[in-house]
Formats: sequence, C-alpha cells, structure tokens
Amino acid sequence: MMVLAPLMPKLDAILVLGSDGDRLAGKYYGDFLKTGADENTSREEARNTFEKEVQQKIGGIVARSDAAEVVTVRGKTIVFCGGSSQGGGGDVRVVHIGPSNESELVLAHLCEGMYEALAQLMGGTTERTMVLDNLELVFLLIDEHCDGGIILETDGSKLASAVLLRDGDDSGQDPHHGGGQPGMAGHAQQQGMPSGVNAGDMTLGQAFRQARDQFLSGGM
Amino acid sequence: MENGDGGGGLLRELQDLGEKFKVDDQDEQYISPYAHLEKATVLQEARVFHDPNIVRENPRKCCTVIAQLLHLQNTGQYMSSVEGTEVFFGVTKLFMSDDASLRRMVYLFIKDVAETCQHDDIIIVIQSLFKDVNSDADLYRGNAMRVLARIVDAAILGSIERSFKQAIVDSSSLVSSSALVAASFLYDSHADCAIIVRRWITEATEATNSSNEMVQFHAMQLLYQIKQHDKLGVTKLVSQYSTRNTLKSPLALVLLVRYTAKLLSDEAQTGRSTLIKQDGSPAAKQGYLFLEASLRHKNEMVVYEAAYAICNLSGVEPQDLSPAISVLQLFLSSPKPATRYASMRTLAQIANTQPRVVSKCNEDLEALIGDSNRSIATLAITTLLKTGSENSIDRLLKQISAFLTEIADEFKITVVRSLQKLCLTYPNKHRVLVGFMSNFLREEGGFDFKKSIVASIISLIRQVPETTESSLLHLCEFIEDCEFTRLSTEILHLLGELGPSTSAPARYIRFIYNRVILENAAVRAAAVSSLAKFAAHCPSLRSSIMTLLKRSLIDEDDETRDRAAISVSILKDAMIANPYVAPTDEDEADDIPDDVPVPGDTAAYVLLETLPMSFDKLERSMTAYINTPNNDNEITFDVLPIVEDTAEEIAVASEIIDPASVVYAIPELANLGRAFRSAPPVMLTESETEYVVQCTKHIFQSHVVLHFNVQNTIEEQRLDNVTVLIDDSESTSFTASGEIACESIKYGESKNCFTVLERNNTDEPLTTNTFTCELRFTVVEVDPATGEEEGGTFEEEYPLEDLEITTSDFMAKVTTPDFRKSWETLGNTNEVLEKFALQFKKMDDAVAAIVSFLGMQPCDGTGTIKPDAGNKPHMLHMSGAFVTGQQVLARAQVAFDGTNGQGQVILKIAVRSEDEAVSRMVADCIH
Repeated sequence: MMVLAPLMPKLDAILVLGSDGDRLAGKYYGDFLKTGADENTSREEARNTFEKEVQQKIGGIVARSDAAEVVTVRGKTIVFCGGSSQGGGGDVRVVHIGPSNESELVLAHLCEGMYEALAQLMGGTTERTMVLDNLELVFLLIDEHCDGGIILETDGSKLASAVLLRDGDDSGQDPHHGGGQPGMAGHAQQQGMPSGVNAGDMTLGQAFRQARDQFLSGGM
Repeated sequence: MENGDGGGGLLRELQDLGEKFKVDDQDEQYISPYAHLEKATVLQEARVFHDPNIVRENPRKCCTVIAQLLHLQNTGQYMSSVEGTEVFFGVTKLFMSDDASLRRMVYLFIKDVAETCQHDDIIIVIQSLFKDVNSDADLYRGNAMRVLARIVDAAILGSIERSFKQAIVDSSSLVSSSALVAASFLYDSHADCAIIVRRWITEATEATNSSNEMVQFHAMQLLYQIKQHDKLGVTKLVSQYSTRNTLKSPLALVLLVRYTAKLLSDEAQTGRSTLIKQDGSPAAKQGYLFLEASLRHKNEMVVYEAAYAICNLSGVEPQDLSPAISVLQLFLSSPKPATRYASMRTLAQIANTQPRVVSKCNEDLEALIGDSNRSIATLAITTLLKTGSENSIDRLLKQISAFLTEIADEFKITVVRSLQKLCLTYPNKHRVLVGFMSNFLREEGGFDFKKSIVASIISLIRQVPETTESSLLHLCEFIEDCEFTRLSTEILHLLGELGPSTSAPARYIRFIYNRVILENAAVRAAAVSSLAKFAAHCPSLRSSIMTLLKRSLIDEDDETRDRAAISVSILKDAMIANPYVAPTDEDEADDIPDDVPVPGDTAAYVLLETLPMSFDKLERSMTAYINTPNNDNEITFDVLPIVEDTAEEIAVASEIIDPASVVYAIPELANLGRAFRSAPPVMLTESETEYVVQCTKHIFQSHVVLHFNVQNTIEEQRLDNVTVLIDDSESTSFTASGEIACESIKYGESKNCFTVLERNNTDEPLTTNTFTCELRFTVVEVDPATGEEEGGTFEEEYPLEDLEITTSDFMAKVTTPDFRKSWETLGNTNEVLEKFALQFKKMDDAVAAIVSFLGMQPCDGTGTIKPDAGNKPHMLHMSGAFVTGQQVLARAQVAFDGTNGQGQVILKIAVRSEDEAVSRMVADCIH
C-alpha cells in the first residue's frame, strides 16, 4: 500500500536560489535528473529546466526561517526556507530536494538548520548580494551540512561555527556563541585547532563591511 | 588584481581586507569577487598556486581563487579535462601552506574535482592527505578522511584502516562524525571497501554511545548499513537500541523507527503473521511496542515517523491505528507547513483503504481547505471526498466550489478524479455531483481540466447508468460552447451511441444539428455520423433527419460530405424497404411497437453494428500478427491472434511490442508458430542476489517456451554458456525438449536463455505442474576495470526457486462486450457447476484469489467489491479465451459464511464454454 521511508536518508540536491530562481550556489548529489531526460540536453540544461520548474512552484511563497514550506516537483519533495520580498528575512531561498518517500519533517529540519546557519554567517540577513559576496562561506556551509548526500550536521549554530573554523562542540555551553560578534581570537587557541586559525580570518563578509565603513568614514 | 605582489604591503597591513578592498579604493564601487567571472581569467589567476611566496604570504588570495573556480563549476562553466588537470596540480602545491582556511578550500576543491577528474591524477594528493589524517589537528583529520573516502581504493584504505578505526571513537565529535560518514560513503562505493568497513563494527557500536547527537546518528546509519542483509543482526540492532533507550538524537531515533518498520514489514511479507500485535515473533512484538512508545516522544520528527510506520504496517486493525491517527490529527493544526503536509499526505493515503478510520479528522480537514499551501488544501479536499458521509456531500461541494476557482489546473484535475470516485461510492448523489462537475465545464479552464471532467462524466455514465440522460444533456450544453475539437467530437460520438436508446432521443437532434451548422470540419463530420446513428436506430426520426443530412451533401469538407452521402443513400434504401408507420391515435399505449428498426434492416446493420473488436484492440492484434512468423494466411478476424484486455497489456502495447517477439527472433523456435499468450514475468531469485533470474512463460499450442532473463551482478565475473536446467522427471504432462543457452553475460548485463517444454498429449487435461530449476553456467573471472579475462574458469550451479505452470497460464484475459448476451449464446450444454468452501477471512481477498486462480478477465467491474457492500453475496463475471481458442465464461457467486466461528467464503461457480472438457479444467483451477 504505502512505501517505506528510506533506510539511508539522502538528499538529492541542495540549492541556494535568488528570489528570481537563479542558482547562487548548489550541489546535486547523484544524477536524479538523468532518468527520463533527453540524451541531447547537457547536465547544466537539465538542471536549469528543473530549477525553473521549482521556481514556478515556490516563486510566490515566503517561508519563515523556522517553518519551511513544502511542494513537489517531478515527484521529488522540495522543502525551502526564505524568499521574503522586502526586509526581514532576506530574499534568498535555501532549497532542499529529497526523494518522495522522505519525511517532510526531516527535510524541513535540515533546511531550517542550514537556513539558520546561512543567516548567521551573513550577519543576520540572507540577501542576494550578501550571499553572492560570500559564496566561499556558502560552499563551505553546504559541505559541512551534507557530504555526498549524507547528512553531516543539522544544527544552525554548530554549522556556522564549523564554517568559521570555530570549535563547534562548545556552542552547547554558549548558546549565543555563533550569532553575535564574529571572531574571538581566543577560540583559535582551543584544543584541537591547527595553528594559524584565526576566526577573524574567516568572517570575511562582516569584516569587510566593518572595515569598509570605517575606512570610508575615515575619509580615505 | 594583477598587482597582487605590489599590493602585498597594504594587504599585510589590512590583513582581512584582501583585494576587494583595493578595488573599493580604486573606483569607489564595490564589486563582488564572483560577479562576471570568466573562465580564462580565473584559470590565469590560478597560476599563483605555483608561486611559493604568494601561497605562504597570501593564503586569502588563494582561497578566493579556489572559490571562484568552484563558482565557475557551479554555474555550468566546466573546465576541460586538460584545464582541470593543470589547476589540480596547482592546488596540490597548496598543501605547503599551514593556513587552515586555505586547507579547507583545498579539501573542498579536491572533492568537487574528484567527481570529474582522472582518477590517476587525484591519487597524487594521497600522501598529503595521509599526513593530515594522522595529524593532531581535528579539523585536518576530519576533512582529510572525508576527502579520502572519495578517492581511495581498497588497497590504500587497508593501509590507513587503523587511523579510521581510531577516528571513529575519537573524543572529538567532528572527527568521529567525519570518519563515520566517510565509512558510510566507502561502504557503498565498492564491494572491496565494504569488506574493510565491515571490520569497524565494534568501533561503530561504541560510537553510538557518544554524547554527541550527530555521532549517534552517523553510527546508527553505518551499523545498519553493515548489517542490512543480515536479518538476525538487524533484529538484534533494533531490539538492543529500542529497549536500552540510550539514543538521544532525534535523527538517530528516526532511523531506528524506520529500521523497526522495515523489520516488521519483512516479517509480514514472509507470511508468518499478519497481525503482528497478536501473533508476531517476540522481536516483532517488541518492535511494535517501540513504535507505540515513540508516538509519545517529545520530538515531532520521531513522532511522525512512528505514526507513519504504524499506518504503513500491513494487517493492522483499525483500533490499533487509532493512536497514530490521533497524533497525525494533532499535527494537522501545526503552525509548521511541513508538519501539516506530512500528516495530511499520510492521512490521504490511509483514506484510500480505510476511509472510516480517517473520518474522525474530518473537522480538521475542513479547516485545511483554506490552507495557504495549495498542495495541503487539495489533499484535504480529496481526502474529505473519501471520508465524508453521504449527507455531508452538499456542504462539502459548496466549500470546494469556492476553492476550485482559485487553484491551478493540476489541483483541479485531482479534485475531479476524487469527485468521480465519490459518485461511485454514493450513486444516489449522482445528480448533485455530475451537476457540480458540469458547472465547471462552463467555467474557464485549460484542455486537460475540461478533458478530465468529460472523461469522468463519461466513465460515470458507463458505471452508473442512471446518470445517462442528465449527463448527456450536460454534455450537449457543453458542446454548444466548446473550444476543443477533440472533446466535441468525443461527445458527439457518445451521443450517437447512447442518445438513441434514451427515453426521448429527439431532444438531442437540435444540439447535434447546431454543430453541423456552426463548427469546423472535424466536428461537422462527427455530427453527421451521430445524426446517422439516430436515424438508423429510430425509424420514427428517419424522415426528419434525412432532411438535415441532405443539407450536408454540399458541405465543403470531403469527409463530412462523404459521410453524409453514405448515410443518405443507405437510409433512403432502408426507408423504402421498411417504411415507418406512425401509430395512430386509436392505438392503445400497449400496442404501440417499440421505436426500433425491424430485424434485418440494412441501415441499422451498416450504421450501428460495430466491429467485432475495438479499433485499438484490432491494432494490437494486427501488430501481434505482423510479429508472428509464418503468417501467410489470408487475414480474417478468425486468424488474428488473441490479445488480452488487462490494463497493463493495453498500456504496454502502445510502447513495446509483443513480449513473445524475443522468442520469434530465435530461428530454432520459429517453427513453434505464434505464441498464444505470455504470462507476466515471475522472479526466480530474490532481487538482491548475485544472479537475478526472472522467467516469462510463453504459451504455444503444444509447447511452453520458458524465457529466462538472467542478470549478472558480480563485477569480477563473466558468465558463459548460461542455461536453466528444468527437472521434468515429476511431470507427466511436459517434457523438456530443448534449450537455447546464452553465450555470455557480462557484469551488469541481463540476457535471455530459453528452455522449451513440450506437452506430451495436448488432449490430456492440464493440471498444475511444479518444476525445480537450476541455473547452470561457466564462471570466467575477469578484471572488473578492463573486462579482460584473468584467472581460471569453472562450472557453477545455482539453485533457483520452483517454477509453476498452471491451467490459468493457458487462459488469455479477454473481455466480452456484453457478458449476459454471450453467456446466453453459449448455453448450458457444456456447463460445469461446482461449489467450494474457501479459507478466506475477507471477501475482497477471495474475489482477487478466484480471479487469479482462473486467470480470466473480470467483466462489468465485478472484479472488485463495492466498499459499502458489507458481506452481501457478490456476483463475479469472468471471461477468457482458452489456448485452444474457445471462449470461456464463468459466473461465480461469492458469499461470506460466518456460521462456523472461523469465517469462510462459499464459492458457487458455473463455467461455460464450447467444450465440456475445457469447462471442467477451468472449474478445477480452484483449489
């Protein structure tokens, strides 16, 4: 009658889309688009067509950061956060694509975790320009979140810390750790961290902004 | 950026600010490092990797370039393999730097490239990665292992096995998780790696005790992966963790629930117990208790998973479902869309089979009709249409009509289908429901939406004849203003078919004639044909329709004109031969003869008699005929092959040709003639075994060709000279008279071999024959990479499951257009009557089993019992064609008998055919 849920939960793709559905960053695991696709279309074309179909469905919907929305496209379950048109959450959407028998709650949990991490990394706002400026962090975030389709980490703060090369384990004791001011040098000396790690090194987006503001206001 | 060197001082001073800042400095305009990237420029930039000074002093720049390269890949500007290799060598130089951020980007890059690059190139970074795996920096260890998992083979993995094992139980969750995920990845990547990973089971078990939730999750995942084919191992795993209560991670618990569900479903499939709660094995019972307990977990993911698993169990009683349904019901009002969606989807699935259990959620479902997520709203409606009671229909329709106007066509179509089903459940409501659907015919909507409504109305006419007259009038109104030619012609054809036998045929003429005046050529032609049918069927209307038809004799369209000409000419002759005499006023009502053509009326014969089979069936039959060898006979309806009418058969015919065509392609088998039918394939092995074998039985007049499809799933082997040995010593009816071996099957291929069974005596009645089968072949060891032979060859035998040949294999599922008429025509001279008591607890199961025993096609929708029929006796009509070509019909009365406490099903069956021996054989199929 019904299908069992997957015994080995895997994602088919993670996409970070701009409000028009343009892919800012993304990762496909396996080639689920290959089946049934025309031989002549390249992988990139197949992905673009698929993403257009996704955008058609999710385009008008704004999903709160803690309440991912669900649609289905080509039999895949699509779960996403973000997409606010003005202010607030930012216009970028984090989209998770999974098989149809995967629990929507699990997918939503993953998606919300990554969205939270993205917001933290981007200094609280997930705007297109901000994300585009810091793609490096987005790539790292996707990698820390999911490796080859296998879920690696779901907690937003831990993900953000991992991307910034902070020791993620201690965020349990310090809940505000990931969200607030970037780069406390003390963390670099923590046990298990290689030399040369300076958290300040990595919070590029925020550091740039801060420095640029100072620089410009300083009249240089 | 070209003056990266010169700007070094500034960069060092400003540290973090990097090049971007300089850009700022120069033109006051901040530009993203990723905007307008060109591949050539970035590749040029990537040369800095070769400059040790820059790598040492400006790791940030290197990071940016790597990110730019990744971005290019991401936007579809892939590197060619030459470019890729060059950049890759550059990147390997970056291992010199101790900068942690840079190292992370290097890892990321290698992983990304590993998917596209030459394996030999990648192998050169292994030494660097080894060093990192054994370093004392957690960050390096974790990441290096994840990268290694992508590129190592079993030999290399063996040499660092110890590091992996240590890492799995490392105190750092980062290292432990990375090692576990890498192991999971390796396990699936190659069988040889899997063998090594299997040895890490102790470490993985220890890791499940970690205080870190993700480590628990990854450890569970790996443990199950290793044990998944070991049934006892899985049982132990599940029972250990479900009782010990040590798992804290919700995701790990979700996994455990899924493993439990799989365990229970496997148990149900082996048939040992249908009701796990009462008579399952101890492990299964315990698993069930775990699922129930999980319903009370504090995390929604776990609770949902458990509810889904319980709903998914086979043979679960409604009262056992109830706690799961309550949980799902609660979720329906969750603020989270994903939660509402998941529970709605699950409830919709349950409603398909057990609508009554879901009906307690009706109030919540109604609230969801207004949900902002349209998928949830649509699911809520379609579910309500299944669970609602008869008296709630009107209210429900009112709610839907508001909803339907504002959703996309694809959702509307789903709703229309549900309405159609609802009408079948409550035929009394047909007036309201059909009226509702036809309202939407007049609204705006695309072709697919309109088509789905028309199709639904038409199918309702066929299944609930009471709807005919009102539905036809609705459709007439629709074609008055219908923009779709295909729908208009379909409806006109339907009117011609059904209209004449309604109570007042004349009322449809106006609608049809309007089409002749106003429409395009295709619709006009259809309308003319339709008019002709009315005339042929109702002598009283002939003269007036004649007048209308004559006007089309000057139609500008050839087809329309031709149809009109034929009809006019035939009708003219028929009117002269059998003039219509109108009843006079003095006649008593009873004396007025029916308005039907006299017997032998030419117009009625030419215009109304249909082909002995439908066009699409004729097409399928002709295709089968063309594919048959030795077909030099003249084509008549009698020599055409029999084709079956099951839904799959019809669906398949449009794409694939006759399944027996593989047999026709073998020269040695050509003299067997045309296959009577081919049974659907049966598996002779489990689907996960080394060799997967399935068998299709092709039935010929005096032979059965067993067509084995063998798949080789072992990478290191090639199978030569493959045959399937059939042991015919126990069968009196069949002798194995020949086999055709398959020359060789490479890894991943599936190929065919054949065994021919000859019927010893075709006059002898058929019985069920069981054969033991064995796969025989020569194993040739090959190098998986090149496919070249290496090492020796040896003979191998592989036992398969038994193969059964039953009488039903010799029966083609052919339907008959009018069962009652055929039944009477065949007469009771060769009728066989039997009565059986069958051990079934449910009528549905009994009906399905009878249909499958006989291998015949159920007619007039009697193959399923109406859901609200309760335990009333059910009448089953079946039709088929036997291998000898005779038509076989069967009427079976299935009744439930609960008198002896156990409950059993009493079957009375009557079989008719042209040959008593055949009737007897068919009746004996029941066992």
